[in-house]
Amino acid sequence: MLKRKLIPVLSRPASFWVKSKQWFVLSGFLALLWACGGAGSDRLPILGQREAVTKTVDGKEVTDSVYQTIPDFAFVSQYGDTVTAKTLDNKIYVADFFFTSCPTICPKMKVQLKRVYEKFKGNPNVMLLSHTIDPAHDSVAVLHEFAQNLGVTDRQWLFVTGDRDKIYDLGQKSYMVTAQADSTAPGGVIHSGAFILVDKDKHIRGIYDGTTEEGVDKLMTDMDKLLAEPVAPKS
Amino acid sequence: MNKFPSLVAGFLACVCFVSCQSEEEIKRERYITEGILVYKSNCANCHQTKGEGLAALYPPIANSDYLVNKNKVICLIRYGQQGKIMVNGKQYNRPMPAHPQLSDLEIAEVVTYIYNQWGNEKKVTDVKSVAPVLEQCRIKLNGPLTN
Repeated sequence: MLKRKLIPVLSRPASFWVKSKQWFVLSGFLALLWACGGAGSDRLPILGQREAVTKTVDGKEVTDSVYQTIPDFAFVSQYGDTVTAKTLDNKIYVADFFFTSCPTICPKMKVQLKRVYEKFKGNPNVMLLSHTIDPAHDSVAVLHEFAQNLGVTDRQWLFVTGDRDKIYDLGQKSYMVTAQADSTAPGGVIHSGAFILVDKDKHIRGIYDGTTEEGVDKLMTDMDKLLAEPVAPKS
Repeated sequence: MNKFPSLVAGFLACVCFVSCQSEEEIKRERYITEGILVYKSNCANCHQTKGEGLAALYPPIANSDYLVNKNKVICLIRYGQQGKIMVNGKQYNRPMPAHPQLSDLEIAEVVTYIYNQWGNEKKVTDVKSVAPVLEQCRIKLNGPLTN
């Protein structure tokens, strides 16, 4: 300011430089943002354990990383039929763990998952899979009534029950969520409020807080991204 | 000349009236503020923050015709409730868990909040009126205390 007043002649080029420098910095920053966003980070990461597997292809040694996948399972849905990993073939899906008599976080999770259901309703590439962690109480009939009461009448959102140990095992080892019986907790079970996003190759692509609106907004954004992803070539 | 004392008396009466009213109002606001917290941590999971309930699973509290039974509402908050219940002409059949951890005062606060927010009331449901209702329900459920 002081300089400009004293030497008005110099003020114009100087301020031009200052202004254009800002533009340089800004455009550089934007380019950086674009570069970061464009190439790598748009693709959701693959979560879970991975191991390097070396095999021989056409006489050459090739090392590949093998990602954790959801193994096959067999549970029973609210309609009484068997649901296996095959039921979810060629679909992206959201998995969660709950129980119908849960007084704590499950109602919140169901409100949020209902939002996801409403948004992707009718999309043949999307399914929702809710596992009960209280199969002793949550029979097929109980799950059916619960789903009906929640306003779910189609097969896009399945509520499954089955062998308790198998459900817990799958939850802990494959979906990486915690669930365990605890008589001191309200409802008798402590469990995580996570929603797990699984892609068409049965890889976990995201884990979200299913008890908050922000967590589930993020899930829905990521589901759109995942649906837009080109299909990876099978190796 | 005679008017002066009566003016003062009138003024004092006015001051007293206003301050009495605002004391009641302060109490109401205190109950509601506490009641919101009790509601959020004990009720909103199922009945939702705006009291709208959840589909056909959990009945609404907002604009619910069940609110006419205030004593029932007070008791079911502490002791829970089982079996079918009709709310606004719709049937719900899911047990509501008991909340034995809530004190008489906390129940009075949450009831005040619920009735001021959704029951067209503008008054405190005092802990003094809630305590005997809860005691009646306890006796009905467990029988009188024996020493």
